[in-house]
Amino acid sequence: MDTTNPTEPVETETIVHTLGKTIIQMEAITKRFGELVALDTVSLEVQRGEVLMIIGPSGSGKSTLLRCINYMEVPTSGRVTVDGIDMSRRRVNINKVREEVGMVFQRFELFPHLTVLENVTLAQRIVRKRKSGDAGEVAHDLLRKVGIPEKANNYPAQLSGGQQQRVAIARALAMQPKIMLFDEPTSALDPEMIKEVLDVMLELAREGMTMVVVSHEMGFARAAANRVVFMDQGRIVEMGEPDQVFDQPQHERTQLFLSKILH
Amino acid sequence: MASESERQGGGRLTHGVGLPLRRMPYWFIIILIFFLVTFYTIFSSEDYRDTLSFIAEGLVFTILITVIGYAIALVVGLVIGLGRVSRNPVIYTLATLYVEVFRGVPMLVIIYYARFVIVPWVATDLLNQPQILRNDLLIGAIPLALGYAAYMAEIYRAGIESVERGQNEAARSLGMSHVQTMRYIVLPQAIRRILPPMGNEFIAMLKDSSLLSAIGVPELTYWGRNRIAATYNTFLGWNTVAFLYLILSLILSLGVKWIERRSGSGHH
Repeated sequence: MDTTNPTEPVETETIVHTLGKTIIQMEAITKRFGELVALDTVSLEVQRGEVLMIIGPSGSGKSTLLRCINYMEVPTSGRVTVDGIDMSRRRVNINKVREEVGMVFQRFELFPHLTVLENVTLAQRIVRKRKSGDAGEVAHDLLRKVGIPEKANNYPAQLSGGQQQRVAIARALAMQPKIMLFDEPTSALDPEMIKEVLDVMLELAREGMTMVVVSHEMGFARAAANRVVFMDQGRIVEMGEPDQVFDQPQHERTQLFLSKILH
Repeated sequence: MASESERQGGGRLTHGVGLPLRRMPYWFIIILIFFLVTFYTIFSSEDYRDTLSFIAEGLVFTILITVIGYAIALVVGLVIGLGRVSRNPVIYTLATLYVEVFRGVPMLVIIYYARFVIVPWVATDLLNQPQILRNDLLIGAIPLALGYAAYMAEIYRAGIESVERGQNEAARSLGMSHVQTMRYIVLPQAIRRILPPMGNEFIAMLKDSSLLSAIGVPELTYWGRNRIAATYNTFLGWNTVAFLYLILSLILSLGVKWIERRSGSGHH
């Protein structure tokens, strides 16, 4: 791989993953959108502390799979269990589960009518019921962590894409989630801003956060992921350690896909 | 400002404040002249002054009815608008029924219907308070509010639907409930976007309030008609009435334009 690629994190030390017991369990998930089968009986398990990367061509179902974890998409059939809670049971309060599962979107989706600080404190106050002072403290700590403490009173539109995405990560982290989901977090960013976002994600991985990441950032995958899943046509085609999947892909479709994105 | 319009106008003749001559608001100047002429006539003619003081009371009533009716319509419209985007089929159906019925019936018929069917029934049969029927302010504001709630519900709905789906997802992913998401994320953004059309509804309601003269609510048009019945001077009477409506709606539409500019240059 081209080592001068600006999107590749400078970090070379590999992260040691201490894995705990299963925190996400997906059993035979099928998702149909009308005639289209987006996911075809996909099963996947994620351990506590794992950084799992999902790659695949567009329309392969990788985002849909990610969105099934926090029930942004409700599977047509199959069962999702998050932190021991079966999401398909009628009595389950989905909002309670979502408090523990942070999500970062391709297009940031910051709340444009609120300041950066309000973006990060709102859910803490109205969902976690924290006092506004406490929420503010958490927010300031997190904004420092993602490297933009000085933008607290700005509005999202006054920030660059990379800064907005870092605020979005801080907003999700403010809920102190057990799991973080990333849906193509760098694909809407200008190249020079990708690194600042990946660095934040790398830091999270180092701290032992359980992460599921849909992205094609190979550098990040090699540095931070302990497992890569390759999807095509709504199915998991191949799964393994990053070096294994990228350097010795077993399946023909994986080889074809990698040859296209690695040039 | 001037340099910018020069760049846009490409060296065309410009007015002092920077508007190209071609784009001057000539309509406004014509109305201004009309105003000045009318003002002059009113203050130089005894008849006009008498007419004006005679119907001044109606002017106050028109403004009061519009403000009260609009306030009710803002709230009822929001409730119905939320019903229009509800996923609950019963709520959605009821809200849609309301909108279709009230948008499909002319305002004047709504006014007759409210005055002679709904309000008497509610006031005497349900509440046993027939004195409501003598409250002209209520009798006037209720039908306007009912009709405009339907129009405004559709504006609310359009505003809510204009907020990107990702905003809803981001809020829900943080564990916010549907109600919290509406309250803190969707509605604040929607309302910002619908301020200009909502302002236009106020102007439209002000003008439609003239229909209330048909059921004897003592507002501007009613007083104007009475004045004409007494003096037989139709030209003078309707001139004064039209002038007063025009002055009100022009001031209001300047207000709407101001809101439009402000919401356009907001922080997003």
